[in-house]
Amino acid sequence: MNGLPDLPTKFDVIIVGAGPSGSSAAYLLAKKGFKVLLIERGRGLGDKNLYGGRVYAPPIREVWPQLDKEAPIQRWVTKERISMVQGDKAITFEYKAEKKISFVSYLTQLTQWMSKKAEDAGALFVTEVTIDEIVMKDGKAVGVRSGPDFIEADVVVDAEGVNRLLLERLGIVERLKPDNIALGVKEILKVGANNIESSFNLNPDEGVAWVIMGDITKGLPGGGFIYTNKDSISMGLVLHLKHSIDFIQNGKFDEHVSKLIEEFRFHPYFKPYWKDAIISEYGAHLTIEGATHFMPQKFAYPGLLIVGDAAGLLLSTGYTFRGVDYAVYSGKLAAEAVEFARNNGGFTYENLQIYDKNVRSSFMYNELFKHRGAEQLMNDPILMSKYPSILIKVMEKMFEGEYKQETVYDALMQALKEEKVGPFDLISQAFGLVKSI
Amino acid sequence: MSTSTQSSEKKKEEKPMKLEDILQSDIWNVDEDPHIIVDYNKCGNCKTKPCVYLCPAGCYVLSDNGIVFSYEGCVECGTCRVICPLEAITWNYPKSGKGIFYRFT
Repeated sequence: MNGLPDLPTKFDVIIVGAGPSGSSAAYLLAKKGFKVLLIERGRGLGDKNLYGGRVYAPPIREVWPQLDKEAPIQRWVTKERISMVQGDKAITFEYKAEKKISFVSYLTQLTQWMSKKAEDAGALFVTEVTIDEIVMKDGKAVGVRSGPDFIEADVVVDAEGVNRLLLERLGIVERLKPDNIALGVKEILKVGANNIESSFNLNPDEGVAWVIMGDITKGLPGGGFIYTNKDSISMGLVLHLKHSIDFIQNGKFDEHVSKLIEEFRFHPYFKPYWKDAIISEYGAHLTIEGATHFMPQKFAYPGLLIVGDAAGLLLSTGYTFRGVDYAVYSGKLAAEAVEFARNNGGFTYENLQIYDKNVRSSFMYNELFKHRGAEQLMNDPILMSKYPSILIKVMEKMFEGEYKQETVYDALMQALKEEKVGPFDLISQAFGLVKSI
Repeated sequence: MSTSTQSSEKKKEEKPMKLEDILQSDIWNVDEDPHIIVDYNKCGNCKTKPCVYLCPAGCYVLSDNGIVFSYEGCVECGTCRVICPLEAITWNYPKSGKGIFYRFT
């Protein structure tokens, strides 16, 4: 059971992992006429996938033009909310967007849809197979091994995800460290479509993406998220792991992480949105913060292309997170590189290097470097607890005066003084923040 | 903190749930063999023990005799491997489609 079922022993391309990047590469390669094997460790399609909840559509439409009509889209995000929370107090900004750029979806369903398309296009698909090793010969990837079974390919596409066991075993990347990694913990709360539409004031196909900062994480650097599905809410927390360890070490955090998410679920400001809801699912997944440090040295090696999370292609700015569209797009670039190699004399390293070049000249790479300072700032424990706190204090002084109300200026100056932040610090730090996020 | 002794019958969902109850919402196909091996000898030297707090599935429990690990309820996130200060964890994905089986997320 540990090995591969009876299959042809040689493929043009083997893709390890049927998430968004692997499925996209498989789909496009199969359409281009390649003999493709897509290998997934899960029992069914998509059943190991977990993310926050929102997908940006435009890069995905380049691979799947039928996305809007056919994909299992829960709701299009038309409202963006950002909240800062301190205790029971909260400040919320809401932006009503006009364009439908992103949607909420269950990732298991979305990847199921993508990998079925790949299968329909002619990719051979095996599930329940965990790959132990990408096999190298003379410095070139020549196939994969699962248990005793070896299958050969001209090109291996590594779409294994954030836990890069295979790349680590090859020595291509270092052992995963907590420095550029965050833990996402998520609950799916069934509330009913009518409840969502009335409590968030939405039309039937519209949805909300909501980012929460402040002490919702009990001071641990990170934040909360809420996304509206058709009849359920995805909510959870993202916690920066390096800082979390530091907090535990310094005795500043001594609870189980599940307690934090449950306190979020019972927070008086958020609870009314999922009143009486039952938890349909609980799960967790790692995510990348600081993609530029997480990336492998190269995206292409002899016989090997690295895509999706494994390649570090995930943007986290603190208020937007883009992993699925980046994964799909990198799958597209990988498929194009394989095609280029075939049309230009073979799958040589020289030819496959076009993938590396195209990733580096893509919008993704540019965006990741443009925002590279953001994760550091967004995870700065002082910055991220002080500023929400200052804003909350300003609001308190403006709105909760029983007899007198402060002017905005006085409220701000008092709040800065109480938080021991000088007006010039505020300006320079705010500038630094605005520049990178 | 309420000190009232007049306990009104509360519905189960009205207060934060324990992790073991939350995990009832998930489905596993548990492997016979563990996919994670913990070197308990190393755990003895670990002061921080971040796994006890950060493993989202609560697979690492602190007992009088140190860490007790169980792999059955693992959600395969990989957190423990990344945070273990002494690299005491040999971590693998479950074989043959075993392990957690997500339906939404």
